[in-house]
Amino acid sequence: MEGPSSYVPATRDRQLWPADRRESGGDAESDRDIKTHFRVCRFIMETGVKLGMRSVPVTTACVLYHRFFERVSLHAYEPYLVAMSCVYLAGKVEEQHIRTRDIINVSHRYFNSGSAPLECDKEFWDLRDSVVQCELLILRQLNFHVSFEHPHKYLLHYLLSVKSLVNRHAWSRTPIAETSWALLRDCYHGAMCIRHTPQHIAIATLHLALNSYGVELPVGEREWWQVLCVDVTKADIDAVISDLLQLYDMEAKCI
Amino acid sequence: MDRDLLRQCLTYHGQSLFNKLKCEQIENPDFQAVVSDLCKATCESKSDGQDSPLVEQFIARKADILFCPAWKTATHREEEQLEEEDAAEPYAIMPPVELFMKVSYDERRAMLYRDLEKGDLVVGRINNIREYGFFLTLLCTAGGLKRDIEDLELSALCHIREIPSTGSHDDPLSYYQIGDFIRAAVKDIDRYQEKITVSLHQASLFPSLEHIKLGVFPREELPVHYSRSIRAAADSSETYECILKSCHGYHNPCVVDYLLEKVGVSDTHPPSMMRGLQSKLFQEEDFASAIRKKQSASWALKCVRAGVDHFKHGRHVEAMNEYNKALHIDTNNVEALVARGALYANKGSIMKAITDFELALVSCPDHRNAKKYLCQTLVERGKQLEEQEKLVTAEGLYRRALSLDDSNPEAQEALHKITDTIQKSIRLREEALAKEQKATSSQTSAEKLRKILKEDKRMKKKRKRSASSSSSSSTFSRNSSPSSSSSSSRRRSKKKKKKRRRSERRSKRHRRISSVRSEEGKSEKDRKEKEEDEVEWYPAPPNTSATFLNQKGGPGFGERDEEVVVEKDAEDRRICQLYSLSAASEDGESDSSRRDGKRGDREQSRTRKRKNTLSRSPEREERGSRSREREDRSRDRGKEDYRRGSDSKRRSSLDENRKRKVSCSSAESEYSRKSSFKSEYLGNSGSASKHVESRMRHDSSKWNSFDGGRYENKGWEEIREREEAKRDCRKGKVEDERSDAANRKSSVGVVNHKPSNLTSVPVERPKKDLPSNLLDIFNQIAQFEKEKGVGPK
Repeated sequence: MEGPSSYVPATRDRQLWPADRRESGGDAESDRDIKTHFRVCRFIMETGVKLGMRSVPVTTACVLYHRFFERVSLHAYEPYLVAMSCVYLAGKVEEQHIRTRDIINVSHRYFNSGSAPLECDKEFWDLRDSVVQCELLILRQLNFHVSFEHPHKYLLHYLLSVKSLVNRHAWSRTPIAETSWALLRDCYHGAMCIRHTPQHIAIATLHLALNSYGVELPVGEREWWQVLCVDVTKADIDAVISDLLQLYDMEAKCI
Repeated sequence: MDRDLLRQCLTYHGQSLFNKLKCEQIENPDFQAVVSDLCKATCESKSDGQDSPLVEQFIARKADILFCPAWKTATHREEEQLEEEDAAEPYAIMPPVELFMKVSYDERRAMLYRDLEKGDLVVGRINNIREYGFFLTLLCTAGGLKRDIEDLELSALCHIREIPSTGSHDDPLSYYQIGDFIRAAVKDIDRYQEKITVSLHQASLFPSLEHIKLGVFPREELPVHYSRSIRAAADSSETYECILKSCHGYHNPCVVDYLLEKVGVSDTHPPSMMRGLQSKLFQEEDFASAIRKKQSASWALKCVRAGVDHFKHGRHVEAMNEYNKALHIDTNNVEALVARGALYANKGSIMKAITDFELALVSCPDHRNAKKYLCQTLVERGKQLEEQEKLVTAEGLYRRALSLDDSNPEAQEALHKITDTIQKSIRLREEALAKEQKATSSQTSAEKLRKILKEDKRMKKKRKRSASSSSSSSTFSRNSSPSSSSSSSRRRSKKKKKKRRRSERRSKRHRRISSVRSEEGKSEKDRKEKEEDEVEWYPAPPNTSATFLNQKGGPGFGERDEEVVVEKDAEDRRICQLYSLSAASEDGESDSSRRDGKRGDREQSRTRKRKNTLSRSPEREERGSRSREREDRSRDRGKEDYRRGSDSKRRSSLDENRKRKVSCSSAESEYSRKSSFKSEYLGNSGSASKHVESRMRHDSSKWNSFDGGRYENKGWEEIREREEAKRDCRKGKVEDERSDAANRKSSVGVVNHKPSNLTSVPVERPKKDLPSNLLDIFNQIAQFEKEKGVGPK
């Protein structure tokens, strides 16, 4: 299962990537890479919605993508092709099988908005071949470790626990669940999703959601988040939140 | 924008957020609408500015999403589907978090009094019972609210009024003991004096919790979260995370989907704070299913084009392959269906072609080519049917073709032609019927004589056979084979006659059939009753052809039943007397005397019976012809004849015995007329005698059902059936003269015992044919009905 591969306390500067990840490149290059990753992840998510994928498979696809490019250079492989293969592979991993034809169709339409669907010709079969080949490449690169633990489970259980702490009317008035779920999904636009432990991400998104609506929870000897996850600190939560907020900033810059 | 939410948020975050909001949402008209309200909220703010400005920035920027009323997708549904968990535990049920948080006693107590509501479910233990009720120590809450309350020393009163009485007069409190675990609904909370009263009436619960039963429950049924919280409280090393991971429900592979639904978040249109990922921006035609559909259609079309190309070059097999491929890619592809249909039509598979065209029209009702082709194919098919003389079906097809394309000259022409043909055939039938009527009435007495003679011969053979059963087999097989061939040819001619006859007399018969059928059932019943209940009334055996006829015929002829019902009783009697007609006139005296003799001398009844049949034969020819005539007339002309006949009879026939005799004799004469059926009759009698006893019982029902069939299926089988039934009937009637009947039975039984096995094949054969025959006849009835309905137009 997934562990915090390389947790680095977040800093506000652009140095988001762990130092060991890639030796090369200055700020400018890594910045460009981050933007590329953001766009590709956006592509994965949009495709996921259009393919009718559930949240967890989409998440798996994003994690596969980030893990893959954790190991290889962005310049060596076409990121969108990798993304398509990730979607395909994630469907298999999470038992929501997506057909390559649909993936190719949706992607084709994504890149050529408003275009007619592909013909059943060599181009189509070549695309399909490359998706399948790339899937094998990903598998090899990840040493067939393609099953991950996601924060989704945690978040949902936390939501129920926290809900009991709040007056039921106040809770039903406040869209905490929707907001925290949206925040969680949005986390996967960046590599932050593989740098933080799932529990931390879950707590951070819930924290941010509660904070956004000004919902106050009772405070005992320990904070609610300390109870939910013993090893989480306020700094961890802030790190996740700040990473996440940067992704929102990035949206304006990238898209 | 949700004003309350915004205010709540601003109260929490304070002035700095308000400033940012004003800055970020400057163009948002929604925000401008509420901004004045919010000033106050900011003033009340207790915020100390501890939050990071980045978070506030984020809130300010995303305020339009966060506070949009549409953002909240979860409805109150979550409240409805609370707590159905337990046994299955689809997700981890966790103890209340405040237990781990170690929230102070006072705060928890305050929270509980704040949040507990009337209708909530609480669990407690009885600690005190008084005459006005009992007191509970609250252990935990159940239902929606999960709180750690065990150590809050909360006590709740359950008044005696709130305990449902079991109906008797004893004290309801006697059912409760100190220490019992009780599930109760909160009835009232006094927040100032901190008093809680509970109720055991089911009605005081929230409607969503209605399925939970209030009252005493065993310890094992304590809520899961409560027992887990006890464990956690006892062992401080049990963290939230440990418990979570040890829960069965946590490892449920579907836990995410389950909980998502529970909290009310859509996973098909997932929420996102990213502006570019708002699901409302996605267009429906960009979704996988839409593209796939479009793509399949275009791929299929390509195949169709290739197929059409093949077709034009005469490569029909290749064309068919292409069409099938197209339909494999896109089932119900209209073009492919039309093209394949056309190919089928060209190849002569008209039915397949029609199916394809029809399918195409289902998905695209205005497809021009599909309509055109279907129209042509229907005309084609109609012509085929016309050749097979299925005129009405063909006519239907032409009409359908015209309904698709009312200007199709071919269909119009064909329809005209076929209407003419049908009308002509009706006329022909009427003429033929008139002729046939003459023919039947003038059936020569000579022919009848022949039949009778043959019959007698057969009887003699029978007797011989009873002596030497081995020899009988040869005669039988000889007998049966020619008769079957002759009967089939005869059947055919009969059928035709019947058709014509029926078409003419159908309306008359309607009335008569229904009346006759019911009457005869009745009269038969009456008779049976008189026969000392020896013969019971049984429903018709389900697999006889007669019942089949009856069932089928029933609804068809039911329409006219009403008018007949009135006359039923009177007619009932008349019919009895009709049968007695021949008795009184010709045969009455001799018969009755004979019978007397039989009664007197039981030992010799067997020989007498033989004599009887022998002696009867000479007189039979005239008697037969007369009764036959009468019956024909009566059948053909309808009720009036019956009445007339019965009128005359009423005078002459009074004797019950006679009546019976007569009916039997007329029946015999009728059957003896048809000498060619002899062998069939023989076979039948053989099998019948095998089951004499049961036959006797079934008599009445058979009679009844056979009557239903008589007028519907006038084919050869029917006559055989009739004879058989009449014979049985006769047997039944004679039953009251025990010895006689027994003797006859035995004699017949002995005679036919062996042959019955041998003849079973020839007997079975025509029966097997029956359904198809019937179908034909029904078709013709339907046809005629259609003609009748259509003709005048």
